[in-house]
Amino acid sequence: MAKVLVKGNEAIAEAAVRAGCRFFAGYPITPQNEIPEYLSWRLPEVGGVFVQGESEVASVNMVYGAAASGCRAMTSSSGPGISLKAEGISYLSGTQLPAVIVNISRGGPGLGSIQPAQQDYLQATKALGHGGFRVMVFAPSTLQEAVDLTYSAWDYAERDRNPVLILMDGCLGAIMEQVEFPEMKEPMREGTKNWSLNRVEGVHRSDRLLTPYFPEAMLEMQNKSRALMVKRWEENDVKVEEFMLDDAEFVVVAYGISARVAKEAILKLREEGYKIGMIRPITLFPFPKESFRKLDYTKVKGFIDIELAIPAQMRDDIALEVKDRAPIYEYCRSGGFLFDDDGVYTAVKKILDGGAK
Amino acid sequence: MAVYKRPATLKKNPSGFCPGCMHSLSTKIIAEVVDEMGQKDNCLHIVPVGCSTLNLVYWQGDILGAAHGRAPAVATGFKRTNPERLVFAYQGDGDLAAIGLAEIMGAANRGENFTVIFFNNQTYGMTGGQMAPTTLIGQKTTTTRYGRDAETTGYPMKMCELLATLEAPAFVARYALNTPKGVMEAKKAIRKGFEIQMAGKGFSFIELLGNCPTNWGMTPLQTLEYMESNTIPYFKPGVYKDKYKDEVK
Amino acid sequence: MKKSLVVSGSGGQGVMSSGIMVAQTAVAAGKCATYLPEYGPEQRGGSAKCTVVVNDTEIISPLASKCDTLITMNEQSYKKFGASLKAGGVLIANTSRVISPITREDIVVVAVPADDIAVELGNIKCANIVLIGALIGADAGIITEEAMLNSLTAKFGSKKQEVLDLNKAALAKGIEFGKAAIAK
Repeated sequence: MAKVLVKGNEAIAEAAVRAGCRFFAGYPITPQNEIPEYLSWRLPEVGGVFVQGESEVASVNMVYGAAASGCRAMTSSSGPGISLKAEGISYLSGTQLPAVIVNISRGGPGLGSIQPAQQDYLQATKALGHGGFRVMVFAPSTLQEAVDLTYSAWDYAERDRNPVLILMDGCLGAIMEQVEFPEMKEPMREGTKNWSLNRVEGVHRSDRLLTPYFPEAMLEMQNKSRALMVKRWEENDVKVEEFMLDDAEFVVVAYGISARVAKEAILKLREEGYKIGMIRPITLFPFPKESFRKLDYTKVKGFIDIELAIPAQMRDDIALEVKDRAPIYEYCRSGGFLFDDDGVYTAVKKILDGGAK
Repeated sequence: MAVYKRPATLKKNPSGFCPGCMHSLSTKIIAEVVDEMGQKDNCLHIVPVGCSTLNLVYWQGDILGAAHGRAPAVATGFKRTNPERLVFAYQGDGDLAAIGLAEIMGAANRGENFTVIFFNNQTYGMTGGQMAPTTLIGQKTTTTRYGRDAETTGYPMKMCELLATLEAPAFVARYALNTPKGVMEAKKAIRKGFEIQMAGKGFSFIELLGNCPTNWGMTPLQTLEYMESNTIPYFKPGVYKDKYKDEVK
Repeated sequence: MKKSLVVSGSGGQGVMSSGIMVAQTAVAAGKCATYLPEYGPEQRGGSAKCTVVVNDTEIISPLASKCDTLITMNEQSYKKFGASLKAGGVLIANTSRVISPITREDIVVVAVPADDIAVELGNIKCANIVLIGALIGADAGIITEEAMLNSLTAKFGSKKQEVLDLNKAALAKGIEFGKAAIAK
């Protein structure tokens, strides 16, 4: 299939349709509006359902209802709306229902700013709702990656019976670039037939109960199995790009749009002879711990965390792996300001030259 | 000859409801209607949060547990992706008329093709008898020790009246469960709601006035009388909206 | 070669649609392109800006600090973004609306009264096509005349011949101005 120029939000929406998503409910919020707008006409075209909910809370609960029947379902929002969806996402995880949640992130806290930011890292990776559940967090850096990750998201969600979060900054949501869309998957409830509330005509099955409420012993048992699931993610499902790390003395850590600007700076600095590379987490959770563990700490002189968040949020995860073996520097912006090539190049060069604190 | 028996749509274990509580009565008549319509396997019961959560261990059939107040949203998602199923949510007054007000209004206004059965006993039973949005003026609860005061807490919310103002709903009715006549009328209304749904004619809402002997601090018999002289005069039983009066029997 | 273009003006002047058209034209011609709109809270009548990056290979960063080519459709955007043009870059100014004298000497200046030309041709709406023509004429290295003509045909060809002809005429006029500017 030929490459087409599309907007980030629409790329995710079309990839969802091709992945077999047939239910979407959402509520307007900038900068993700093209996702519901696109799906409002696209889903009915393929026999799917679009509902504009009365709130974020209602929308995520509609997804909960659709997911319970084994239908591939999705909702999208941005920071303030994700906070409202927190309840429903916790219930999805508690009831063990697969779904895909998209956060096209903007400046925070509070109403913050409608401009792009990466200020929802901690919410996404540590506590997307109450009760201590975890979800896989995909953080695309290009629109092709956004398409591919969205296309595969339900495979993980259904395998684990757990929601998956796609966290993408508003810059990538608004940008247009070329992507190649994958083939259309036929929507099937096959992968969910052993637990969903779907009934197939003429096929008898016993009554089923899907509930977010458990007696103590069952709840502990479920939480234990969820802990094992997280362990399996860390062993098998980490996605990361390791860029020019072999001889690197300085390691940039960045994701999403920030990683693209950082990469441009790294290439320029390499030309000038600096030994610098990058770890780019594609799954923010599970975090690519191994990429940090296998570094040669006799060579590495420092890490540079580049994020559109102040205070830096990913820094905590970096620090857990680096364990004081090297200093962690930061270059961050916030409030809706984006990085630019010269800004990142100059800031990183200053750190490499020892000019930073 | 009429034989009194347990509906197949209820499990054989005890309900878990307090003695004299009308939740057992209302769930029984719903189960009877499901039985009579031959819909047991096709039915999905959406169980919310509150005393009605006890239906998780009592209802025989497919069950989906919903977050507090969100049952109409959950029902929307399920029913839209499974239009052939008989879907109903059974919600209490705190669940539906306080925390879930947006969801019930949204679903009703879209004319979603499912049924909501609203059990209104004017209190938060599960959490120990706090004031509900439907608690009567002067009624004592654990958060209105001297009786509900309209000055500071407003007035009991009339859901049937509110929903009947909307264009979309097909059927909106209220009945009281404190007399055999009321129970029979309620059962007929539930059947009508389900039939409207199975005919694809849209949203049906049946409010059942019930009691809470435990939190009202009354014997079950006293609650019947209290309902007659206090609840019913304020929440008047009857049909508030019937869009297809002549089409669906 | 990686080239960046900023299109700026006020809401309603076709800033965003020009940027998208340039990006689409580049992609249709086999290049890689990114297009990034910048929306402020003031979407109507306020300033509008978008950045297009075009490259022969995959674009790593779409967030260039300074641009190689700048189209300013009005006075306000010229004042706001004039300094973001690289030395040696190409400035295409819609002099129907940019009234300040252009004093920078380290750039190529294409002064095009695009609004007046468009009105003369019959429709103010094709002013942005005149400016895209100037971009091609000044050899900014972003898109070619042939590719742009293909784009116009794809966009308007199936609708109305006169709309297509109008846009082709607007493009040709812009190209003249661009060529004249670099010939100086």
